[in-house]
Amino acid sequence: MQAKQREQALMDFTKIFLLTAAVGTLLIWACGASPLEAYRLFFHGMFGTFSSFAEIFVKATPLILTGLGCAVAFRTGFFNIGAEGQFYAGAMGTTVVVLYLPDSFGVWRIVLAMAAGFVCGGIWALIAALLKAKFNISEIIVTIMLNYIIINFLGYAVRSFLMDPAGNVPQSAKIAASARLAILIPSTRFHAGILIAVCCVLLIWFVMEKTTVGYELTVVGKNQRAAACNGISVFRSVVLSAFLSGGLAAMAGGIEVLAIQKKLLEGISANCGYTAVLIALIAGNRPLAVFAVAIFYAAMQVGANSMQRQLGVPSAIVNILIGLVVVLILGKELIPFVKPAVRRLKKGGRADA
Amino acid sequence: MAILEMKDICKAFSGVNANENVCLNVEKGSIHALLGENGAGKTTLVNILYGIYTADSGEIRWKGRPVRFDSPREAIQSGIGMVQQHFSLVRRMTVLDNIILSLKSNGFVLNRKAAAARVASLAQKYGLTVNPITRIADLSVGERQRVEILKALYRDVELLILDEPTGVLTPQETAQFFDVLRTLKGEGYAIIIITHRMSEIMAVSDRVTILRDGRNVADLTTTQTNPEELSRYMIGRELKQGDTPAATAHSGDRLTLNGVTLAARHRHGALCDISLCVCRGEILGIAGVEGNGQKELAEVITGLRRQNVGQITLDGRDIGRLSVRGRYEAGIAYISDDRQNDGLLMGMSVCDNLLLREFRRLPFSRAGVLDRRAAVRSAENKMNTYQIRASGKTGVQTSVGLLSGGNQQKLVIARELTENAVLIIACQPTRGLDIGATEFVRSLLVRERNAGKSVMLISADLDEIMALSDRIAVLFAGKVAGVLSRKEATVQRVGLLMGGITEKERA
Repeated sequence: MQAKQREQALMDFTKIFLLTAAVGTLLIWACGASPLEAYRLFFHGMFGTFSSFAEIFVKATPLILTGLGCAVAFRTGFFNIGAEGQFYAGAMGTTVVVLYLPDSFGVWRIVLAMAAGFVCGGIWALIAALLKAKFNISEIIVTIMLNYIIINFLGYAVRSFLMDPAGNVPQSAKIAASARLAILIPSTRFHAGILIAVCCVLLIWFVMEKTTVGYELTVVGKNQRAAACNGISVFRSVVLSAFLSGGLAAMAGGIEVLAIQKKLLEGISANCGYTAVLIALIAGNRPLAVFAVAIFYAAMQVGANSMQRQLGVPSAIVNILIGLVVVLILGKELIPFVKPAVRRLKKGGRADA
Repeated sequence: MAILEMKDICKAFSGVNANENVCLNVEKGSIHALLGENGAGKTTLVNILYGIYTADSGEIRWKGRPVRFDSPREAIQSGIGMVQQHFSLVRRMTVLDNIILSLKSNGFVLNRKAAAARVASLAQKYGLTVNPITRIADLSVGERQRVEILKALYRDVELLILDEPTGVLTPQETAQFFDVLRTLKGEGYAIIIITHRMSEIMAVSDRVTILRDGRNVADLTTTQTNPEELSRYMIGRELKQGDTPAATAHSGDRLTLNGVTLAARHRHGALCDISLCVCRGEILGIAGVEGNGQKELAEVITGLRRQNVGQITLDGRDIGRLSVRGRYEAGIAYISDDRQNDGLLMGMSVCDNLLLREFRRLPFSRAGVLDRRAAVRSAENKMNTYQIRASGKTGVQTSVGLLSGGNQQKLVIARELTENAVLIIACQPTRGLDIGATEFVRSLLVRERNAGKSVMLISADLDEIMALSDRIAVLFAGKVAGVLSRKEATVQRVGLLMGGITEKERA
């Protein structure tokens, strides 16, 4: 039974891969470029130089953390679509603390700033969790709306109280070198934040798979009613998972500020908070799989960027393909090409009926 | 000549034979009972007839012509109707609209007046009284069943299939229902009735076909048989009569409810001034037609819902303000009537499900870190002790959704019956189980009782209540209609209380 399932999964994967590759080839060809050359540059972009390879991890870091956040929330049945907003809440919290704490705090300045970001993001997600738990208001709607609020509030902040006094562009003052996350490998952008992300993956994996807390969250996500009937507090679990989820997404924002931008400005998330939803879905909300999918996604983007730079093929093609992959994965039940057996299954019924 | 002949019907689901060369002949103007344990293949057989499944092989002849239905719609058009165990009515629509729903003959503009007239004449003729303009949601279960039958009759069926029709009815409603069936029979309708209650078969049917493990085992004329013979055919052995020994002397109250009231959230199912006690070493049966507050009673005791007024004590300790978890830790175990929603996580493994109550304790976790190996070891033990059968290869890692109903229920019971549990709230614990599993579950409840624990057995199955309980309380409309000792409780008296007729009113 299981071997059969694995075989089926492999077949599905192969079909999805082939279909995606075919569509990609078609799109590149339609741009007037040679698909072969494009693919060569695509892979060269990923593995060609050491620094481009390191770039994959740089790009993956925010995706890993926001994806992890979504996975934790989805596992608990809390559909947090607000990773984007929580990312910004975190970026803002981190920036404020890092700018106002004096140099004398040393490395603690970074730790406190990241912690502040975590709490800000957590609280931002908590708003939706409380509205959900107390008034049964859809968390999907609330988190999306909260995204708009915080994104525009950030725009307001960098034009007013957080604006760099020395300049007149809408961005914060530059963060002192001592408060940045260090580059670990010279001549690349491989920074310490990547290690933080990896630690988070391991920690969340441990919490979700090996602890009573993770078990409770999973149970609540599977069946709230059964959880309540067996004495697990649904309210506590949802609140905890929302806070954790928001905090993780916020850390991505903090790292982006402290390692990449070195200041706060608009649009720094590059929509990773929305991509995170896809990543968590594809990864089946499993922490280790989130890591793998985020790396894969980042690699695709790095490759596509190199393709665009050198051949003029729009990197948007990758987004089209990723959208296609998601639709195929989520919709494979409906597509006879992927599952010709649907009709037969429907007629078959269940053995114990 | 038979109006319906089913010959050598075979149907397998992923390699498991649900029907193997099953034959069934039904005469016009007769009531034909289909008897068998759960999983014997009764429902599969009628689902094939009704076009829900397609047979792998075999022949169906309807009025002498070979037929094959690909959907219920085709079956209905040919004159075969079915009332399923779970009704398929639209709750928010009226009786009339439900009856004429999806009829081709409606045309584009509905003629409700003509339809209402026809429904009224049908209802009159067969004693199926029901007001056509009430909404389904406002009807009792018995009335809904009448609507289902009217719906079939309105479509001019000649054969009516009834899947476990009496499970939800009071004894009085059942008697009325049988009168309707007899009238229909007199009018020349053929009726197939699926049931597992011997008394009903003896009372109403003309012929009985018995299935076991997907095969025909007997085809009998009802007047020439008796319940003992039927049960022997059905399970291959004689059925043990209610031989549970009476409880030894009870020693004091364990659970007491004092004036417990639960305000109605909707119109149904509130509790009104409930005062009850369950003693140590006692099974208290809670009888009543479903929807009279049984579920609410269980939920108030287990802490899922908070009473508005009243006191609940367990061994003298006030537990009224404790959480579900607190009450479990105080010793209340809960076997819910809705195991798939309340009791189990269908997508998770046997092992994870067994862990659901005890995961915070040693040896299953230490300082918040789970010990999966201890959980697996304990789960393997419980699977052995409670005879939970899962696929051999995956064992305790089998997904609960793949287990049969009986094994799912055993799993819930294995989890709930810990040493710590002193009071077991068992809500419909044998619903949907076959006879083997039912006996096993009942013997476990008796075992717990004999070990000095207390059981509150909430069941719509009166036979079960009568067979196991030391005392019987009857719920009606959220109130205790009466409490009877085992000796006082006759089916007649309990049945009247279930129908809301208290002793006083009769006098």
